[in-house]
Amino acid sequence: MFIGKIVKSDSHINYVCQIYGPREVEVEPSPADYAFGRFVRVAVRSEQADDPHSDLNFALGISYEPKTYAVGVIYDTILLNPAFGSLGPRLSNETQVELFSPDYISEKAVLIYVMVLGMMDLRMTPNGEAEFLSTMHGVPLLSLELGSEIETMTEAEVRAFHFFSDQNEPDKEAYLHMGYLPHIIAQRNSLLPMVSLRIIDQLERIFPQNLPLLSIVKRNFAWKLKVETTG
Amino acid sequence: MIEPSTAARPRFRPVGITKGPGETAHEYTFVSRDDEQVLKNGEYVYYELDDIDEMTHGHTYPPDRAPHPGDGYPQGSLRVDDIIHERPQGSPPLRADDMTHGLRTDDMTDEQPQGYPAWGADISSQRADNVIHGQGTFARRVLGRIIKRVPLQLYPDTFLAEPEISPSQVAAMVGYDSRTNELFELHVSIMGYYEEATGSFINPWIPPPSGKQIFLADDEMLARILSRKQRGQPGSATIGSLLTRAPDAVPVVLAVKDFVSTHLAIIASTGAGKSYLASVIVEGLMQPHNKACVLIIDPHGEYGTLDQLANHDEFSEQGDGRGSGYRAQVKIYKPDQVKVRISTLNMGDMRHLLPEMTEKQQYLLSRALRKVNETKKGSPWSVTDLKAAVKAVSKQKGDEDSEGADDSSTVHALTWRIDQRFVDSFTFDDMQHLDLPEIFKPGQCTVVQLNDIDERDQQVVVATLLRRLNKARMETERGKVHAGEFYLPYPVFVLLEEAHHFAPSGTEVVSTAILKQVLAEGRKFGIGVGLISQRPGKLDADVLSQCQTQCIMRIVNEIDQKSVAAAIEGVGRDLLDNLPALSKGQVIVAGAAVNTPVICRVRSRITRHGGESKDAPDMWQKYFGPEAQESRHRSEAPLNGNKGFQLLR
Repeated sequence: MFIGKIVKSDSHINYVCQIYGPREVEVEPSPADYAFGRFVRVAVRSEQADDPHSDLNFALGISYEPKTYAVGVIYDTILLNPAFGSLGPRLSNETQVELFSPDYISEKAVLIYVMVLGMMDLRMTPNGEAEFLSTMHGVPLLSLELGSEIETMTEAEVRAFHFFSDQNEPDKEAYLHMGYLPHIIAQRNSLLPMVSLRIIDQLERIFPQNLPLLSIVKRNFAWKLKVETTG
Repeated sequence: MIEPSTAARPRFRPVGITKGPGETAHEYTFVSRDDEQVLKNGEYVYYELDDIDEMTHGHTYPPDRAPHPGDGYPQGSLRVDDIIHERPQGSPPLRADDMTHGLRTDDMTDEQPQGYPAWGADISSQRADNVIHGQGTFARRVLGRIIKRVPLQLYPDTFLAEPEISPSQVAAMVGYDSRTNELFELHVSIMGYYEEATGSFINPWIPPPSGKQIFLADDEMLARILSRKQRGQPGSATIGSLLTRAPDAVPVVLAVKDFVSTHLAIIASTGAGKSYLASVIVEGLMQPHNKACVLIIDPHGEYGTLDQLANHDEFSEQGDGRGSGYRAQVKIYKPDQVKVRISTLNMGDMRHLLPEMTEKQQYLLSRALRKVNETKKGSPWSVTDLKAAVKAVSKQKGDEDSEGADDSSTVHALTWRIDQRFVDSFTFDDMQHLDLPEIFKPGQCTVVQLNDIDERDQQVVVATLLRRLNKARMETERGKVHAGEFYLPYPVFVLLEEAHHFAPSGTEVVSTAILKQVLAEGRKFGIGVGLISQRPGKLDADVLSQCQTQCIMRIVNEIDQKSVAAAIEGVGRDLLDNLPALSKGQVIVAGAAVNTPVICRVRSRITRHGGESKDAPDMWQKYFGPEAQESRHRSEAPLNGNKGFQLLR
């Protein structure tokens, strides 16, 4: 589901998104949809084909063309309230304000910070299934656009984003990738190590067969985060 | 400008790049990923030496291109850059590295193939004709031996936390998908480049500059330069192959001439394969290209299986019409056939055989010995003669002494002891002994088994034998004899098993002096000695240090390791550190018979081995086998052999 749109970026990989508020979309996203550590994706705009048919399909959301997504993770949330600080009494009450100046309401917003972890190409098949074409972990080459919509990812998509075979060696079996870990660690943000732990927790659930492998990274992180910092 | 010969030859990939000088003067370090795990400790690598030296001296000049005084080159002041710019097409290319002396050769450097041809032969062989020293094919390859491996980059310890997950899996997950992840710094001890003319390695006296490509020495190259002789050549004894390479890839060949003239020592703990190696060496000596004259002193009776030599085709040769061909002969003397003629014993032997003689007895005996030797003039004498001489001497002495001291009790005691020692002795005989021309013949391997003989007697057997051999070789070489028992007109090789019995450290036994003499002078008279011992610490240090070729196998005992290190200069400390790590059948060979110390895997014997340890549990099991029980039951039955009837009677 779409939960918001990009309103600002701090760097090539850090984007600030505003969560859709009441009445902006049909289904208003709940806090669970933009929870800390959740994987999201943003479609990267690509050249549209000239075929008017495909335009129509695109508009209807039934395009079978391959689409490129940037995949990111939510690592921070900010509740924005411009009215904070104006604590004095008002002449009009809340209901009146809502009725007469609705734009004021929209100034309250939920902002999420998303860090881009990689890219994936996928295509919808006519029977409604997603076909994952390729995946890349690391810093994407293309940047995202303001106003691009943020979408939550299903478990199947998260799985596909992490479990693939190396592109230069297609013969090699698919295996679990977390190629974005080094660049998460390289960022200076106190929440990022926590988000890594959170990601590992999710992956442990999705890939129970890789528990020992994940536990190495998890323990390593946990030790540094919890033991070394408090010790 | 890659010459056709270079292009056709398979190019070797460098295994690493030089980092810089090592810890000591003749070491350098290089860095390698070592993907294929080939850079083992003790492995041989090389880099190629620049030719600056020879260029500046004009040695590499093709004769027809050599600058003449009239060419406009001032004679005697030829500069390197003159040479470079004047170099004709088709002459051996210069190497990029050659320009280290600040020479600028833009036109030449582009043409240099990277990582110069593995074999180097194309250039060097051309050069070999031109080079004044007459250096061989490998002149420019500075060989070294890897002595240490230091990790530079390893997986973090935390990646190793799960036993069932390899660290490379973790690295792959976080996006590091390179196949190899480790990086090593390898320390190399420089041996030098090989000069075929002298058969030695010439140290460049300077470590290679940083950035030099390091190649793994190939099998063919090592086979040519590690051993002085090639497999199958006359005067070669192949004992095995280089341990770090595939079996048989690089044969390790001893130069027979060198170890026979300057002696050989085989040292190892028990069970490491001493007698196996000794047999392998003997096999090499008995092959048609050597046809050696070998004597083995075998105190344990382990070499009996060598008699199969005579039946193997490897040890025979068809005659070419003129000669009668060759077939190795093996003669085995069982302990009861080993005889020492009493008349060959000297006073030292007597003192050794009749210990704790009184002063008087010794005096009488020495005079009697002198007398009997004088009267018999070289022909053998018997115990009876000796006893008679003792009596005669004592009588003579009694006559001389005016006081008329009575020696009769001394004479009686002495003759009693002589009787008791020599009459009915298996080993000591009035007439028989090991006839030198019988036991020493080219193409014959003689095994003297001493396993049932008392240790003191063994020492006397060896001492008398060596003494006679030394005398025979000395007199033959000096032209004093031309026939007879002491005529031995060919060099011999004596292999002495359990050498520490015959020259123990700390004490002097009857065989020590003659053994030392043979070791010191044997080279002059053509007597080579091979000492085999499992306790180098118990072997006389002088004796050990006289052996110029050393085969050292697994030694665990620290005292023994130290005595080996002290007695043997030829083997470097780094090689000796490997001693406890060697396993059965692996040997460090160093000294005169090889060009450089090598670690060798002993080849398998052509003949069956006779010195295996007994399998005690297996033999106990057999004791309770049904057949063994049945036969025992029968033989222990009361009526067996009519013993029962005997008892009844």
